Amino acid sequence: MAIGIKKVARPRKMSFPEALYLVEIVKGLGVTMRHILGNIVRQEGIKTIEYPEVRRVMPPRFRGRHRLMKRQNGAPRCVACFCCPTACPAKCITIVAGESPDPAVEKYPVRFDIDMLRCVFCGLCVEACPVDAIRMDTGWFTPPDDTREKLIFTIETLLEK
Amino acid sequence: MTAVLFLVVVALARIAIVFSFCFGLVVVFTWAERKGAAYIQDRRGPNRADILGFRAWGMFHPLADALKFLFKEDFIPDNAQRLFYQLAPMFAVAPVLMSIAVVPFGPDVTIFGRRVALQIADLNVGILYIFAVTGMTVYGVVLAGWGSGSKYPLLGGLRSSAQMLSYEVSMGLSLVGIFMVFESLRLSRIVAGQGELLFGFLPKWGVVVQPLGFILFITAQYAEANRTPFDLPEGESELVAGYHSEYASFKFSMFMMGEYLHMVIGAVVVATLFFGGWQVPFLADTGFVLPGGASVPLPEILVIALRTGSIFLKSLFFTWLYVWVRWTIPRFRYDQVMRLGWKVLLPLSLVNIFATGLVLLLLGK
Amino acid sequence: MPNLTIDGLAVGVPEGTTILAAAKQVGIHIPHYCYHTHLSIAGNCRMCLVEVEKFPKLQTACSTVVTEGMVVRTDTEKVRKAVTGVLEFLLIHHPIDCPICDQAGECGLQDYYMVYGLHRSRYALEDKVHKKKVQDIGGQIVLDAERCILCSRCVRFLDEVTGTRELNFFQRGDHSEISIFPGRPLDNNYTGNLADICPVGALTSKDFRFKCRVWLLKGVESICTGCARGCNIAAHFKGDILYRYKPRVNDAVNRAWMCDFGRLEYKKANDARLLAPFVREGGREKSASWGAIVPQVALELSRAVEREGADAVAVIASPQSSNEELYLVRRIAADRLGTKNLAFTHRTPGDGFSDDLLVLADKNPNSRGAKLLGIPDGEAFDALIGKIAAGRIRALLLFGNVLGAFTEGETAGLLSKVPFIAQVGTNTGPVSKAAHAVLPSASFAERGGTFTNHAGRVQRFHAGFPPRGKAKNVIELLCDLANGLGADWTFTGERSVFRALSETETPFRGMTYESVGAFGQEAAR
Repeated sequence: MAIGIKKVARPRKMSFPEALYLVEIVKGLGVTMRHILGNIVRQEGIKTIEYPEVRRVMPPRFRGRHRLMKRQNGAPRCVACFCCPTACPAKCITIVAGESPDPAVEKYPVRFDIDMLRCVFCGLCVEACPVDAIRMDTGWFTPPDDTREKLIFTIETLLEK
Repeated sequence: MTAVLFLVVVALARIAIVFSFCFGLVVVFTWAERKGAAYIQDRRGPNRADILGFRAWGMFHPLADALKFLFKEDFIPDNAQRLFYQLAPMFAVAPVLMSIAVVPFGPDVTIFGRRVALQIADLNVGILYIFAVTGMTVYGVVLAGWGSGSKYPLLGGLRSSAQMLSYEVSMGLSLVGIFMVFESLRLSRIVAGQGELLFGFLPKWGVVVQPLGFILFITAQYAEANRTPFDLPEGESELVAGYHSEYASFKFSMFMMGEYLHMVIGAVVVATLFFGGWQVPFLADTGFVLPGGASVPLPEILVIALRTGSIFLKSLFFTWLYVWVRWTIPRFRYDQVMRLGWKVLLPLSLVNIFATGLVLLLLGK
Repeated sequence: MPNLTIDGLAVGVPEGTTILAAAKQVGIHIPHYCYHTHLSIAGNCRMCLVEVEKFPKLQTACSTVVTEGMVVRTDTEKVRKAVTGVLEFLLIHHPIDCPICDQAGECGLQDYYMVYGLHRSRYALEDKVHKKKVQDIGGQIVLDAERCILCSRCVRFLDEVTGTRELNFFQRGDHSEISIFPGRPLDNNYTGNLADICPVGALTSKDFRFKCRVWLLKGVESICTGCARGCNIAAHFKGDILYRYKPRVNDAVNRAWMCDFGRLEYKKANDARLLAPFVREGGREKSASWGAIVPQVALELSRAVEREGADAVAVIASPQSSNEELYLVRRIAADRLGTKNLAFTHRTPGDGFSDDLLVLADKNPNSRGAKLLGIPDGEAFDALIGKIAAGRIRALLLFGNVLGAFTEGETAGLLSKVPFIAQVGTNTGPVSKAAHAVLPSASFAERGGTFTNHAGRVQRFHAGFPPRGKAKNVIELLCDLANGLGADWTFTGERSVFRALSETETPFRGMTYESVGAFGQEAAR
């Protein structure tokens, strides 16, 4: 490819009234005054979402905080197959499997912890799950907290939503 | 005896009224700045602080801020020079408050048969006094920058004081025209002079006789108050919060208040010098006297109310102008600030003096 | 010596070799389930079908003996189609519960499905025959009849290796399943092998059940420390936790098996470990740093030698130590302390049960090695205990977690007669409760070396991961101690010690880690 020279438009030299700034400043003040008056009269122009009361609607494929699905009897759907911790690039999922009290289920997670501080929200755990037990469709972020321990979500927390 | 007592009471009352006016305006001003900025930027602005569920469009936020400032830890950094560090916030507030003393808020009134000036002190060097006193605020900046014992405040303080001193020069020179036109430094005389009419119909306001002086003065004043587009002392990426980086709690709030007071007083001075002070166009002591010869007589008390109301409204507009300009114009680079101060404003103010002198000479005064 | 061609590769094999074994020699893998190198040939899974020239039908590679001039093809379309068909049949009733199956990751069905299957099931889910899942059939085994492909490896193992014949086939057709006879659970010392030989998830280990997924485990070649047999094993671990043992094939030692007792030995590296050095002062444990405790032990030992003579100092070695460590221990006792009070015992608490297959009565991996290195057993040990009981030993350096076969009470009584005891051990126990200085050492999974088994075979074991906690490699520890006693040892790692050992010790003369290799080498008699 031949090397060409592209002319980049230089800033236009200002005319004298523009260089004086006075008119331009008044024009600018007009713009801001238009906004302020418009916003006082009609509130529709205001883009702010008043957070705790109003929440942004997340797109359907948004990957948010995880939740664990339940069976019809309320037990976790997860069978502790370890596919999600295997797929997890951040190594944030810790599962301890055990013999389920329900003989039809056999294997269930005694512990299922997600370290939300390590999670990178890639969604690979959801893809890896063979029984659709873990989803990231809560449509919301990890709420802030004041200790690291509280942000290691246990199975109880994850089953709530 | 009663005469002395009366004078003392009147003096104290005037001081109390003017101070509460200034501080009240500061409180409203901080709210107006945040709310105004929000509305200009299509945001909602402060609207959360409430008293018993009553939010009042966020007007309680300044109150909440003040409370928070009061209860924050009042620390002094290890490296700070304690005396300078403590003095600096006082220098930021006190001189500004002092300068309001010479501003007239209305014509003389008669109370209990005695004439009382609506002005704390009617000095014959009025405007020079304002310059002298407000010039001291630069000490606040310098002391804070030096006394904090930290490099960012030092750089911020240096920058800020250099800027304030540079603009002090053109600010002073831009007013010389006003003195020449009204032939006095006494503010009450200047205001009284602005009550006259030019060519029989045009109020002889400062802005009319000294348009260039007005533009130069207000520009210099914005730079003097460290307001956008000249808010160089602060710059998060360069020198954090500038000279008050190391301040917290009530000391920081004093800097904050000093800055806002500076603007309030600036607004009052602009209104006084260039917009007729307490004068209302065509309003004489007895009532309106229109240029055509028609007149509307008004009772004296109404006239006084109109006049004090007029300076109040004018001040309010110019404080608002500070906010308005801040959210309209982007800031200058530091070298641009200095160039504007020394190479544009200073020569122009000198030209203004010569032009004014020439006109006055030609008019034969 | 018949010569044949397999997929165009010429190979000569001994008379009686099967096609499958011959193919293995030239690096061709023929899929199989029922065939096992150490079991008789059944030929019932039909996965190993190959095309042999001049045979009208496909032949099972596992059972067809090669003949001169045979031309075998394993890669034709015909073979592939047949194997794919067989696999589809095997999977018809399979429950596909891989997520909860412990075999997942090392399952023959998964492996071959990825090569030959990749089909969608043509069999309706509701038509599948369901059999009993999760049956505890005794021993270390859980049976899931549904996952079984009826290869009969387990049946043949119990018939040919243990001779106990607990498992057999029941029912007919697609209802066929393996099971135990009613009320007759698995009852032999080798049940764990059933989980190893089962190519699918039908027979899985009760102990390993749901503990970890196999693909997360790493393996290291090791030697079982459960008895003097020295079974070759692979120790599987994740992080610094051991999860299970799997036998390695070594026809000279354990063939392809190991006992249930040895299979649980791994727990000793996980539980009740000594993880940080400590000293006992006035009956209270006080944690100590390595920098302080080794010089202290050296000082106490040398002071006892100075004041009371070398006969007042004793060293009790452990047959759980490797040859390299025992060699250094002997040198410390002889050269540094100058004492003749050096002995070990192969006796351990509990009954030293044995059987005629693998289990031996001596529950230590290296008693033979200790003897070959000139550390006395038996009478010398009893004499040393006599001296301790008589209060004539003033300082004792003790290796291991237990003192011979003595009970906890007896151990405490004996050791209370010694004013200073330094222990080098891996686990808490009666000795660590009495010792005055406890020096935690690396477990067998955390260090490398060689053991000499009962028959004098020197076998190598490897470190899987670094020592847990603050535990230290014994060789490093012994070097520090010897240097504290005035030596100038510069050994770095077990290889350098073995080199020194093979130069001076007659039974090991000329041996290197390379000559020991993966399967061991007999020590000279």
